[in-house]
Amino acid sequence: MARAIKGSLVECDPSIKALIVKIDSDYRDIVIEELDDTHLLVDPSKIPFIKRELSKLLSENMYNLNEDNQA
Amino acid sequence: MSNSIDVSPKDDDYFSSDDGSTDDTADSHLDLLGKRVRNKKGVKHKDALEAEEMEKAEQKAMEMDRPAEFVPDSVSRIFGYSDFSFLKLKPDHASRPLWINPVDGRIYLESFSPLFEQAQDFLITIAEPVSRPSFIHEYRITTHSLYAAVSVGLETDDIISVLNRLSKVPVAPSVVEFIKQATHSYGKVKLVLKHNHYFVESSQADILRMLLHDEVIGKLRVHTGDSNDADSNDDELERVSPASGLAIGAISGPANSASGPSGPSGPSGPSGPAKSSASAPDPTVEDIYESVIGEGDDGEGDLDTVHAFQISTASVEIVKKRCQEIDYPMLEEYDFRNDLRNPNLEIDLKPSTQIRPYQEKSLSKMFGNGRARSGIIVLPCGAGKTLVGITAACTIRKSAIILCTSSVSVMQWKQQFLQWCTIQPNQVAVFTSESKEMFTGDAGLVVSTYSMVANTRNRSHDSQKVMDFITSREWGFIILDEVHVVPAAMFRRVVTTIAAHAKLGLTATLVREDEKISDLNFLIGPKLYEANWMELSQKGHIANVQCAEVWCPMTSEFYQEYLRENSRKRMLLYIMNPTKFQACQFLIQYHENRGDKIIVFADNVYALQEYALKLGKPFIYGSTPQQERMNILQNFQYNDKVNTIFLSKVGDTSIDLPEATCLIQISSHYGSRRQEAQRLGRILRAKRRNDEGFNAFFYSLVSKDTQEMYYSTKRQAFLVDQGYAFKIITHLHGMENLPNLAYSTPKERRELLQEVLLKNEEAAGVELGEDSENFIGHGVSKRLKTTVSRATKNQSSLSGLAGGEDMAYVEYSRNKNKELSGAHHPFFQKNYYKKKKK
Amino acid sequence: MSAPIQSSSTSSDLFKSTINEYLDNLPEAVHSQLYRSPETCLAIFRLLPSLAKFYIMTLLFQETAIPYADLNRWIKPQKATGHHRNANKIYQNESIKRLKALNLLKEIRKKVKHPTTGKLTTIVFVQLNPIFRQSFRDALTGFRDGIPRDQSEKIAETIEEAEAESEKTLETSSVSSSSGPSLENLFATKFKITVGFLDSYCLAKWENILHFMVGSKIKHYPSIGVLTLLRYSGLMELPSDRRHRQSVDADEDNFVVDDHYIDGERGPPSGEELKSLLITKNGFQFLLQDINSQIWTLLLQYLKMSEKLMMNPVDVLNFIFMLGSLELGEGYPIKVLSDTQLIMLEDLVDYGLIFYPKSENSEDTKGRIFYPTRLATSLTSESTKFKTASTVLNEQISNTDSNQGKIIIETNFKIYCYTTSPLQIAILNLFVHLKIRFANMVTGIVTRESVRGALINGITADQIITYLESHAHPGMVKKAEEKYAKKMEFETSIGNSYTADQIKYEVLPPTVVDQIKLWQLELDRIQTFKGYLYKDFANDFEFEKLLSYGEEIGVIVWRDKIHRKFFVTSDGNAQLIEYANRILRKSASRSVTPST
Repeated sequence: MARAIKGSLVECDPSIKALIVKIDSDYRDIVIEELDDTHLLVDPSKIPFIKRELSKLLSENMYNLNEDNQA
Repeated sequence: MSNSIDVSPKDDDYFSSDDGSTDDTADSHLDLLGKRVRNKKGVKHKDALEAEEMEKAEQKAMEMDRPAEFVPDSVSRIFGYSDFSFLKLKPDHASRPLWINPVDGRIYLESFSPLFEQAQDFLITIAEPVSRPSFIHEYRITTHSLYAAVSVGLETDDIISVLNRLSKVPVAPSVVEFIKQATHSYGKVKLVLKHNHYFVESSQADILRMLLHDEVIGKLRVHTGDSNDADSNDDELERVSPASGLAIGAISGPANSASGPSGPSGPSGPSGPAKSSASAPDPTVEDIYESVIGEGDDGEGDLDTVHAFQISTASVEIVKKRCQEIDYPMLEEYDFRNDLRNPNLEIDLKPSTQIRPYQEKSLSKMFGNGRARSGIIVLPCGAGKTLVGITAACTIRKSAIILCTSSVSVMQWKQQFLQWCTIQPNQVAVFTSESKEMFTGDAGLVVSTYSMVANTRNRSHDSQKVMDFITSREWGFIILDEVHVVPAAMFRRVVTTIAAHAKLGLTATLVREDEKISDLNFLIGPKLYEANWMELSQKGHIANVQCAEVWCPMTSEFYQEYLRENSRKRMLLYIMNPTKFQACQFLIQYHENRGDKIIVFADNVYALQEYALKLGKPFIYGSTPQQERMNILQNFQYNDKVNTIFLSKVGDTSIDLPEATCLIQISSHYGSRRQEAQRLGRILRAKRRNDEGFNAFFYSLVSKDTQEMYYSTKRQAFLVDQGYAFKIITHLHGMENLPNLAYSTPKERRELLQEVLLKNEEAAGVELGEDSENFIGHGVSKRLKTTVSRATKNQSSLSGLAGGEDMAYVEYSRNKNKELSGAHHPFFQKNYYKKKKK
Repeated sequence: MSAPIQSSSTSSDLFKSTINEYLDNLPEAVHSQLYRSPETCLAIFRLLPSLAKFYIMTLLFQETAIPYADLNRWIKPQKATGHHRNANKIYQNESIKRLKALNLLKEIRKKVKHPTTGKLTTIVFVQLNPIFRQSFRDALTGFRDGIPRDQSEKIAETIEEAEAESEKTLETSSVSSSSGPSLENLFATKFKITVGFLDSYCLAKWENILHFMVGSKIKHYPSIGVLTLLRYSGLMELPSDRRHRQSVDADEDNFVVDDHYIDGERGPPSGEELKSLLITKNGFQFLLQDINSQIWTLLLQYLKMSEKLMMNPVDVLNFIFMLGSLELGEGYPIKVLSDTQLIMLEDLVDYGLIFYPKSENSEDTKGRIFYPTRLATSLTSESTKFKTASTVLNEQISNTDSNQGKIIIETNFKIYCYTTSPLQIAILNLFVHLKIRFANMVTGIVTRESVRGALINGITADQIITYLESHAHPGMVKKAEEKYAKKMEFETSIGNSYTADQIKYEVLPPTVVDQIKLWQLELDRIQTFKGYLYKDFANDFEFEKLLSYGEEIGVIVWRDKIHRKFFVTSDGNAQLIEYANRILRKSASRSVTPST
């Protein structure tokens, strides 16, 4: 008996997928199903939240050249 | 005794204004300027002012420079207080090369200006270079830089007037005020050792008189027979005849043929051809410039009568300390030609020795007035720092001691001395754990390491004997190699135990991550010269390097674990990222096929071994015995079957491998800009650098979406400011198709992950946590560690892989290295065992 | 990267094709009305390709229709090198098509008896649109004045008389170029209307609009009319528009601003609301054009909006085209304008196309005078003149200095721009972290944050790169050329022709270009699709059947054959369900129902 589940398919790098899974474990109810290394099914209403969180987490790995040049 | 300095930087007003700095390029000059301005207003103690008030005062000070009629326009607010559009351009601004920021003393110099060469020569003397890429160079005037300017003989008014002539906008009153404040007392008093007596010297008699009235110093004056008159009498001060010129490095040949009294500044100085072609906006710019830069040193000697009073050797330290307190820090100069007590050393450059223009220029800053000034010379790796040191030693011609960071570089220094100079081998003594020589005769050279000299405990009998020899005598000259890597505490110990008249620090980067830069300034002296990397590269003195940052995506298993783990373990995961390993494998293969010689750098010893063993390459790290190291290095140099070696942190400095043409960095010390620059330095002297179209390669492998990205960008900051550009490579084409690509199956990757996860946290650490340990010849220090067990334990728990844990790897690694060499390179094996038997 | 764009020529071509497209699509009745105005005829003539111009000039004084075939005979036959003849033919067809689309060329079919055979054949004759012919003749001969311009009604001062005055105004304007206060000064002073004054007036007006677009702090906001148009044209958007657009995940290009209020269905945003407008990607592209193209872009949007507002397009177009034939520095009485045109006059004043001084005598409305500015009079100039006029203006914007506006970007991401133009500084501020400003130079640094700010505004990495390239300092260009030549020489000297072909001419540091692009990529680390995940299939048959059908109609985004799962887009789901029901009913199974 086939089922169809409504949701948003997210396609991304493996590392981003792992990050989304991590976000889900922190906040719950985001990921509906992990599909493979580069795909996930998520709650469509959570996409803006996911994007915001990703941007926040990824920014932590960025060095701003400007930090260095503040006089 | 004599020259040792024991003034804590905290006591020193000059340095304490610099407390908040993270390194020399990042200190907040704004603060300095602000404080100076306030000090002038009579606010003596910064604590007295609340932070808010200080801010207000600062704002006011800035606003005061703005003319009343200045109306901010629609975009002024973007710049806040940095809108200086009110500074009116001079009518001929187009032909003047720079702007000066009135608030932080930053200078923006057009490199395409006809006056660029002259302006650069001038700015490097009075300001710190901040960035020097292709078109606009930035400098910053700081108290340190002005101190250095004064110490090479520039006067306050000269600095201001040349700046004004070079600037497109008028030099703001705040900058003028700052220069005056910072320079009025610097360099006015000198401590000179002459005829074995110490003299406090100055060209301004009133300053000396002021010192004589000082409660501390006055009492310490030694009265000589003929000047016991009243205090107010000028005659109390001895007149000293001005110094006459002197040629650097008493060599015969082209290098000094053009040097008259002005010495080495002649051929390479501002009177070069660039000047004649320059269309000066104002003819007097050149005149002034010349008088300031070119002939400034002579001027000082010719025009001013120098006054002096004598102090006893015992009171030197007290006087120095007192002078610092009253804001008249003493410059130390060594009048070595009049030093009759210390015997001369028979040393000369060989006639065949060629000195490059920038080397000469840097030395001219040191010997400008016929005496030796103590200070630091900054040249990129591979630009011939050693020859600069050697030439300086040949100029002073007194006994000298050279301290370096490892026993490998001790041997390199000795070999270079014998190569470039006429000195006899028996006059060059080497003091390391393996060799405890003393030179014969009255004068000679000693080459040693910092750790040999600084170590205070558990010396062997031989070692103690040499140390006694070193500490018991007076040295004319001390060369401190790679000064930036030596911890300040060790430094202080070295400088105080060895009595040397002149100190020369050599380094490639004055960047320090440990906030100790002002210590260097204080313990050795001001920075005398800093070369422009891009310029040397363009002129072929150092190799052209293509830099690249290779992004290696984390596999999902590794990344999941990465997200779960603490930061130490994270490090291990991003270093051992299978994609990174593959990238490394691919690049090695690619460059070996091109005929490159490759050095792979890994700070992490676990990764170093994993990578090297899996790829079947020899490796060197802290616990590799000296002889095995030499053997591997020699094979790398001469064996065309050994084209890739893996080096831990021990290879960061001093290992001289001109054969290397490609560097791959797989793990590094966090965001250390200095390490990045040092590693790059390993290929700057590439033998093939002058081949048409030759490029050396520098790859930094970085695991994507990890902390490593952050560190990587930070690390590059220094080199990027020197004009290097890091190309980002997001995909290595053809990597997937590489035969025998490691970790290409999920199973292999899982096994690797399991192995990495089983490692304890300590394995994640870099080889040794502190700078203090990074340079020490580990063949030596290992022994130290095993004997001094308490220290070892402390270290290991603090910094991960060290001491005992290090030892645990020794057996393993040694065996593998042997195996490797045996299995893959018969020549290597033969060589190895032959040496081993010796 | 591509070579630096020639922004002026490309964008003017762009505008021409856009205005042509607009004109072509007007109904014939509107064309007929338009052609009653000689000025409009002249302007439209200028926009035509040369061959079309030639046809018109030839037909202009032909009283009778001529056979269509003659059109071919006027063209010199080309040699039969296939390619060229083709191109020529295409060009001819293109020209005739344009003439027909504009209803300038009328075809008349006549049955003609063959002189010798006496057979009746249909021959196609062509004739110029009679209304156009008359008006255009008038325009060329000056026989009939569109607008009275006899001496008694000419108000303007001559340039010579006002020379001294003109210099004065220019001077004031250059000191505080384009900012709010200068506008006030201009109005406050009692002055004579000179070309110099009009130039600084229109630049101040126009730059004020541009400043608003880049978010500079300005004293006088552009009028509600201007703001509405900026939003309507998609050059700017309200924060609420942006949220809406992002929520439906639409690109600016295919996202249409909710413009119901224009039809009166919903109240328009208030003036206060409009002050919060933000620049869009298209807005940034707009900033990169030269000033004439910018004006045409806005005028076209104005035309489109005026239609919705039920303004007579003939009046609107006639007015625009008329402006192009007016004399700079002269005044014209408003009494020649229609009611629609009077409304338009106010709007054009807002854009700086027209200067319209307040009359002391408020009752004397009919006697009031308006002055077209250079922005207006250069609107329909021929392409060469068109450029000159815009060059003049662009030079004035940047205060004319050979080094003006030139940007250096270093490998350490620091930027140095030689500029005195607040507008250029404001544009840079969109994607550069600006630091220090000197009288002729500003410094800044391009950072991830500053570029992300721009990217989030909808400005693209390519736009930033193009901007930096087209404003590159001569020193950078020179260095790039030297580097290129050197590499080329080296590769050629070692006979490496393949590599030589690959050498790129790079004005900007390649690492900086790459990094800016990577920052953009970094914003799109995930791709999302709305739809349904199908799973838990009872057997391979059902799975394969549905999957292959889905693949066939192209609605499957992801599939996993091992675990028997696939993902179908929202759009494709209905179709797939229908199919499922069909085949499953056949196999007597229950239907698939999406759980929502």
